[in-house]
Amino acid sequence: MNLALDHAWLIPALPALASLLIHLAPPRAERWAGPLAVGAGTLAALLALLAALAVAGGATAAGSFRWAPAADGVIELGYRIDGLAAALIAMVAPVAAVIQLFAIGYMAHDPRRARFFGFTTLFTAAMLTAVIADHLLLLFIAWEVMGLCSYLLIGFWYERDGTGSRPAPRDAAIKAFLVTRVGDVLFLLGIALLWHETGSLHIGTAAGQLFAPETLARLAATPTPLGVSAATLAAALLFSGTIGKSAQFPLHIWLPDAMAGPTPVSALIHAATMVAAGVFLVARTYPIFVVSAMLPWVAAIGALTAVGAALVALVQTDLKRILAFSTISQLGFMVAALGIGAWGAAIFHLITHACFKALLFLGAGAIIHAMEQAVGHDGPTQDIQAMGGLRRHMPLTFATYLVGAAALAGVPPLAGFWSKDEIVAHALTHGAWGVAIALLAASLLTAAYLTRQIWLVFFGSFRGGATVPHDATGAMRAPLVLLALAAALVGGINLPWQHGLSDLIGAEAGAFHPGIAALATLVALAGAGLGWVLRGVAADADLAQPGARGVLALLAQGYRLDALYRHSFGAAVDVAMDLRRWIDRAIIGRAIALVGATTTLVGRLSAGADDILLQGGAELAGRGIDELGGEVRRSATGRIQDSLALVAVGVVLFAVAAVTLLRP
Amino acid sequence: MTMIEAVPLSWVLALAAILFCIGLFGVLVRRSLIGILFGVELMLNAVNINLIAFWRYLEPNLVAGQVFALFIITIAAAEAAVGLAMVIAVYRTRRTIVADDMRNLQG
Repeated sequence: MNLALDHAWLIPALPALASLLIHLAPPRAERWAGPLAVGAGTLAALLALLAALAVAGGATAAGSFRWAPAADGVIELGYRIDGLAAALIAMVAPVAAVIQLFAIGYMAHDPRRARFFGFTTLFTAAMLTAVIADHLLLLFIAWEVMGLCSYLLIGFWYERDGTGSRPAPRDAAIKAFLVTRVGDVLFLLGIALLWHETGSLHIGTAAGQLFAPETLARLAATPTPLGVSAATLAAALLFSGTIGKSAQFPLHIWLPDAMAGPTPVSALIHAATMVAAGVFLVARTYPIFVVSAMLPWVAAIGALTAVGAALVALVQTDLKRILAFSTISQLGFMVAALGIGAWGAAIFHLITHACFKALLFLGAGAIIHAMEQAVGHDGPTQDIQAMGGLRRHMPLTFATYLVGAAALAGVPPLAGFWSKDEIVAHALTHGAWGVAIALLAASLLTAAYLTRQIWLVFFGSFRGGATVPHDATGAMRAPLVLLALAAALVGGINLPWQHGLSDLIGAEAGAFHPGIAALATLVALAGAGLGWVLRGVAADADLAQPGARGVLALLAQGYRLDALYRHSFGAAVDVAMDLRRWIDRAIIGRAIALVGATTTLVGRLSAGADDILLQGGAELAGRGIDELGGEVRRSATGRIQDSLALVAVGVVLFAVAAVTLLRP
Repeated sequence: MTMIEAVPLSWVLALAAILFCIGLFGVLVRRSLIGILFGVELMLNAVNINLIAFWRYLEPNLVAGQVFALFIITIAAAEAAVGLAMVIAVYRTRRTIVADDMRNLQG
C-alpha cells in the first residue's frame, strides 16, 4: 500500500491541527502562526499530491469511524479518496498553501495575524474534509464549518467602516453568512429527503449506498406531493446549496461584498475553498442529477450567471469587485458544464480556475498592498481609475497578472483555454445551442473586462499621485511566480491527446475540435478588442447610487438585486418585525403582566395560609411533644427495679399477645 | 407406679411457674443487690425445671433437654460470679449495696 494513501486522513487533519495550535498558542508565539500554517499546508499538499498520484495508479483509500446511533445500527462517517476527491485535494491543498505563504507577507503588520492564520487553516481543513467525505452528513458539517470560516474571515477587519459603495466588513460578513444560509437550509432539507427516501447517505455505488443503481431507480420512480420525482426534488434542494455556496444567480449577491475581507481570504474563497465546494457538491452527487429532471435548470442558471456576471464585471471600477464578478461568471461556466453533462470538463475548469483566479487575487493583493504605501490606507487603494502605468513600477506583478488574465480569457496554450474549450466543445457537439451561445458570449465579455482592467491598471501613467507603488518583496513574490507557472501549465493534466484528469475521475474524455478551438480563440480576441474600446466606460460612484438610471447604472448596481431583496425580503422582514413587536407589546406583554398579578395574589394567599395554618400547627406540635416528653420523663426513675418491673410487665404483655394472636 | 404416672406434667410446670414468680418477686422487691441475685438464681432454676420436665415427659430419647439444663447451670454459676464481683465493685465505690440508692439513670 501507499504511504500517503494510508495516512490520507492526515490531509485535512494537519491544517486542522495547525489551526488548533495557532488558536491555543500564547500571544508571544504570534509570529510563528504564519510559518506553522504554511508548514502544515505544505505537508498536506505533498501528501495530497502523492495520494492523487497513487489514486491515478489505481489505488483507493477509505476509513470510517462510528459517529452516532441511528434507528437501525450506527451512522458511520468516514473518508474515501476516489478519483474526484484525489483530483480536488491535489488542487485545494497546494493552492491553499501558496495563498497562505502570500499571506505571511500580506498580513505581516496586522496585529491579529495569528487569528487570521487560525481561520484560514481551519477553512482549508474544512474544504479538504468536504472533498474526501464519504457521507453527505460529514460533507455538510465541513460545508457549514466553511460557512463559519468565511463569515469570520470576511469580517476579519470588523472594526472598519464602509466607504462609499464599499460595505463595512462586518456587514459583508453577515450578508455572506445569511445569503449562503438560504442555500444551506435547503441543502439540509435535501439531505433529510434523501435519508428519508433511501435510508443511506453514504456516497458510493455499492448496494445500500446512495448511488446504488436500485436506490437511484427507486428515487427516480418515487413521486412527491410537488408533482416531481423524489430524485428531482432532492437534486433541486442540493443544487440550492450550490447556488448559495457557489454564488449562482440569484444568491450570488454575497460574493462581491465578500471583497471586504483581506485579499488572501478572497483568493482562498474564490479559488481553493468555499465557492469550489458548491460545484463539487453537484459533481459529487451527479448520479442523482442524472436521474432527475434538474439538469436543464442547472445549465440554464449556470449560463445565465456566466453572462450576467461578466456584463457586470465590465463596468466595475473596484479592482477586486471585477475579479469577484469574474469568479461568479466562471462558476457559471462550471455549473453550466455540469448541466449539459460535461462534468469532467467542469472539474477540469474548477481546477484550472482555482490556479489562475488565486493568481489574479494575489496579484490584486500585491497591487493593493503597494497602493496602500503609495496613496495611504484611506486612499483609493482598489480603484482602477486611480491606478495606471503599474507595468513599469511593478513588473513582476504585471507579468504574473498578465499570465493569469490570459489563462482566464482562454488564450492558448494556457490552462483556461483547454478547460473552457472542453466545455464549449461539449455544448456545441451535444446540441446545447443556448448554453453554447451564452458561454461564448461570456468568453467574449471575459476577455473584454480583463483587457479593460489590465489597460487601466497597468498601462498609461500613474493617476494616483506623486508617489508610485512598487513591487512586493519577500514572501509575496514566490507565490505569484508559483501560481503563474501553475496557471500556465495546469492545463496539461487534461490535454486533448492525454486525458489524465478524465481518466482519474472517471469522466468521459472531452472532444477536441480545432474549429471550435479556433472559434473560441477568435471570440477571446474579439473580446479583447471590445475591452479596449470600452476601456473608458466606468461605473463611477454616482452610478452606484440607488437613484441612478440607465443601463450602466443597472450593471453598476449588479442588476439592483440587492435593492430588490431589500425591498422584498427585507421589507417583509420589517413587516414581520413590526408585527412581532406589536404582538410582544399587546399580547405577550399583557399576558406577562397578568401572570405577574396572579402570582402576587397567590403569594399573598400562601403567606396568609402559612402564618395561620402551618406556623400555628407547628407550634402546637412542638408544645405537644414538649409536654409528652415531660410526662414520659417521669417514668425514667433511674431505679433498677422499676426498669425491671417494666421489662417483666412487657414480657407478660408480649406473651399474652403471642398466645392470643398466634393460637391456630 | 413410676413418677411420670403419679405426677402429671402440669403439676411440675405449675411448680416451675410458682418458683419463677417467687424469683421475679424477689428481683423486683429486695433492696439488697445480693437478694436480687438470689431471685435471678431462682428464676433460672425454674427454667431448668421446665426444661427437664419437658425432656422427661415428652422426648425422653433426645439428650438435648439435659444438655440445655447443664448449659443453664453453667451460665448461672458464671452469672453469680460476675454478679457478686459487680456487687463488690459497687460496694467499694459507693459503700452501699442498696438498689434504691443507685439512680444514675434517672431522666
